[in-house]
Amino acid sequence: MDNTTSAPKATITKETKNKIVADFERTPLKERLKAKFLNLYFFQQIAWYIFRLILLIGISYVVLYPFFTKIAGSFMSPEDFVDVTVRLIPKHPTLDIYKAVLTELKYGKAFLNTFIISFSCGVLQTFVCCLIGYGLAKFKFWGNKLVMMLVILTMIVPHQTLQLSMFMQFRYFDIWGILSLLSGHASTGIAALDAVLANIKILPMEDAGFALTNTYAPLLILSATGLAFKNGLYIFLLRQFFNGVPDALEESAYIDGSGTFYTFLVIILPLSVPMMVTVFLFAFCWQWTDDFYTNLFFTTSKIVLMPDVVDIPTSLKTDYAGQNMYYAAIRNTCGLCIIAPLVILYIFCQNFLVQGIERSGLTAE
Amino acid sequence: MTNEAKLQNTVSAAKPQKRKIASLDKRKARAGWIFVLPFLIGFLIVYLPIIFNSLKMSFYNLQIVTGGGFTLEWVGLENYEYALLKDPSFVQTLITGMKELAFDVPAILLFSLFMAVLLNQKMAGRAAFRAIFFIPVILSTGIMESVEGQNILGSYMEEASGIDDGSGQSAASEIVSVMDIERLFASMKIGTELVEYVVQMINNIYDIVNRSGVQMLIFLAGLQSISPAIYEACRIDGATAWETFWKITFPMISPMILVNAIYTIIDSFTTDSNSVMRYINSVYQSTDGQVRSSAMAWMYFLLVMLILAIVAGIFSAYVFYQKRDS
Repeated sequence: MDNTTSAPKATITKETKNKIVADFERTPLKERLKAKFLNLYFFQQIAWYIFRLILLIGISYVVLYPFFTKIAGSFMSPEDFVDVTVRLIPKHPTLDIYKAVLTELKYGKAFLNTFIISFSCGVLQTFVCCLIGYGLAKFKFWGNKLVMMLVILTMIVPHQTLQLSMFMQFRYFDIWGILSLLSGHASTGIAALDAVLANIKILPMEDAGFALTNTYAPLLILSATGLAFKNGLYIFLLRQFFNGVPDALEESAYIDGSGTFYTFLVIILPLSVPMMVTVFLFAFCWQWTDDFYTNLFFTTSKIVLMPDVVDIPTSLKTDYAGQNMYYAAIRNTCGLCIIAPLVILYIFCQNFLVQGIERSGLTAE
Repeated sequence: MTNEAKLQNTVSAAKPQKRKIASLDKRKARAGWIFVLPFLIGFLIVYLPIIFNSLKMSFYNLQIVTGGGFTLEWVGLENYEYALLKDPSFVQTLITGMKELAFDVPAILLFSLFMAVLLNQKMAGRAAFRAIFFIPVILSTGIMESVEGQNILGSYMEEASGIDDGSGQSAASEIVSVMDIERLFASMKIGTELVEYVVQMINNIYDIVNRSGVQMLIFLAGLQSISPAIYEACRIDGATAWETFWKITFPMISPMILVNAIYTIIDSFTTDSNSVMRYINSVYQSTDGQVRSSAMAWMYFLLVMLILAIVAGIFSAYVFYQKRDS
């Protein structure tokens, strides 16, 4: 112990003209290790490290466990579900469920259609939300706060509340009755006036309003106007992000003679790529697994989408003892097939997800 | 503000000149309007009629005519009356829904803040853990949620192992048995309600983890924006980690807590797994239930708006904003 406290002696010898060698009497290795590792601080660190690791692994397990059970179940054959000794690892592993799901349930068609919708909606939503967020963050105009309030309002009103009227709006699509007026389907409540207005036939329409259901149009309209699923959140996140971008960047662009929109496209958008990827990832994935809007707007099964895939293939229909369990496994496998592309996307984009949010400089002002 | 007023004055004073040149502020304001134009158009053309219609519908009786089309009949407050007085389970569902909300929101907030603080520390494998924790945000929505709802496979598989993922119905598979823990804490004179709350929180951990992804992201972003210099100063002054958390991290992140509280309330009362939403949905699916469900949904919406206002009012009184010189 004395060695550590008293200053070590040093012997300095001059070897050559320009070289001095200093020899210290070093503290023995044992003592040094003792001082380093045998103290309370170090033990605390170690204990905290282990505790944290166990906690994180435990919660990761909780997150991943449902996926394990789904994957395990998807490889099981019907016999495994009546076998009591089989829990997670199948005794008779087969690929029957995958084969049936991928071939019989129009998975390919659903994949293509959903990809078209999700991709176009994702791109549209990302761009439009960027526009709106940028407008709200960087321009102080009269009504700025009001628009922000409206954005928050669209976020707060649950979409189930609007289920019926949203369906009506797109089943009989109209702009404040102007379109039906132009096509001679106006209804003012006064018969004489209606008869006169019925002669106006500028737009060809059979019904009052365009029927936009069973097309991609409703989702595209909602995306292009920043009203689709959770767009309020994206606008909020992007507004916070643009708030953190220094004004000097734009000002220097303005001084160089660039217009507002050009500045936005050339200076601001390239800066915000991580954030945009984050928003795109959210938009794409949430549209991909969405079943509220797709069930609402696609009433016939003409366009096959992902929710239609969750079904029992005819070749796998049985009525033996383990039926319920087997059907649950089949449905889970459908779910796995649906999210498989998203998992691949996530693996590539997850870095952006965290980075985008981290660099956002998010503050709640 | 005064500068802008002056600018405006000079512009209006310069009017008699030959050409009108809009001031920079005005031009910027115009550009701002153009940027938010898509939203405004959409709001006016699509969203406002939808909201208006939905509100209108709740006062009407809707009859779908065979062969397309529908008729509307004004019935006043009958739908509301039906929901509140005649419907056997609406009020009850509403109360349970509120109870769920009161349970879920603090649990999700606490959990996501805790996890964000944990994931913000430097350690090996941090990126991997973050990636795992954000999986539910991306994958467990919509279809997966409805698939999960009918999932008996998961609970079957864990019966033997005795580990619960939250979806299991069998009481035997709960991680901690409420009885054991309560007996343990009863002698420690801690309120049973608190113990029950914590135990429930642990048993619902899967659900809570699933729903706190976005909140975790927002908290992480907030933690990242706190200057490391403040922590350094604290360490030099000899503050422990515990003190640093309560004196620095907590106040600095309090605006995020407000945002997250509001987001969590909105999120948890609009998800399909919410019991009130499920009930409204089931009413919507039933015959001639469309208008009734919309009346119910509006009442629910008003109630939650009220809760939001109260929560926002209480939280914003305690929120600390760092004064920035700008």
